[in-house]
Amino acid sequence: MDALSLFRMVRPDAALSAYLPAGIQLPPSKTLAPKDLEQLQPAAAPLPSPVARPAETSFADTLSRLVDEVGHKQQAGAAAVNGLLSGQNVPLHQAVIAMEEASVSFQLMVEVRNKLLESYQELMRMQV
Amino acid sequence: MINLLTGVNSTASALNAERIRMEVVSQNIANANVSNYQDGQPYQRQVVRFETMLNAQAGQSLTGLAPETTQVARVEKDARPPRLIYDPDNPFSDANGCVAVPNVNIHEEMVDLITASRAFEANLAVVKSARNLALQTLAIGKRS
Repeated sequence: MDALSLFRMVRPDAALSAYLPAGIQLPPSKTLAPKDLEQLQPAAAPLPSPVARPAETSFADTLSRLVDEVGHKQQAGAAAVNGLLSGQNVPLHQAVIAMEEASVSFQLMVEVRNKLLESYQELMRMQV
Repeated sequence: MINLLTGVNSTASALNAERIRMEVVSQNIANANVSNYQDGQPYQRQVVRFETMLNAQAGQSLTGLAPETTQVARVEKDARPPRLIYDPDNPFSDANGCVAVPNVNIHEEMVDLITASRAFEANLAVVKSARNLALQTLAIGKRS
């Protein structure tokens, strides 16, 4: 069930199309018949998943890979600075660029985390 | 491998190449008056030659092409003959009392130095701009 069909459960199509610009047609909505509602009961047989899902890569995995990558970039930046300061013939610009890459990817990670937290708080504020 | 600073691979290689050019220029200026460099010969001016290297392993750029990087192909000796200066008291003077002075022209070297430093600055500007673009793009998601 996607967000649009959740929204339709709250508002009928006539009200929904009032929000849409002219000329945009909504796909026909599936009305929830009482027998469909029975299917939603936990006692009933589990619903077959509507789309065959590809091999699972959970969002948590993606996120932890991002965190790993940011950690690697920071280690690379620290190694470049160490090499520069200990006279291992690391050029100055390479160390600074490595530090910048680490800083920008850290910013990206912080931004992703802010967005996640924001959406969570938005959900928690939702009236039930 | 996430690539947030686009175009920085090529720029970093160009910065390295310009740094080597500056080193060679400084070597030329430092040795401008050395008339006994190797076995009685005067120092010969060195010039760098750059080349482009197609760097297929260094990660894909956004255009789908492999980034092209700059590197120093070789450091050559300038083939111009040394200047001859009459200085009979010099221990390195020949039978006619002439000393061979390196074929380094200090004005030429200063122009080369300016070229190298301007090219370095241009590449630094690319890095700075790539960083600013990445940070401004990340600021899209910020509220207020």
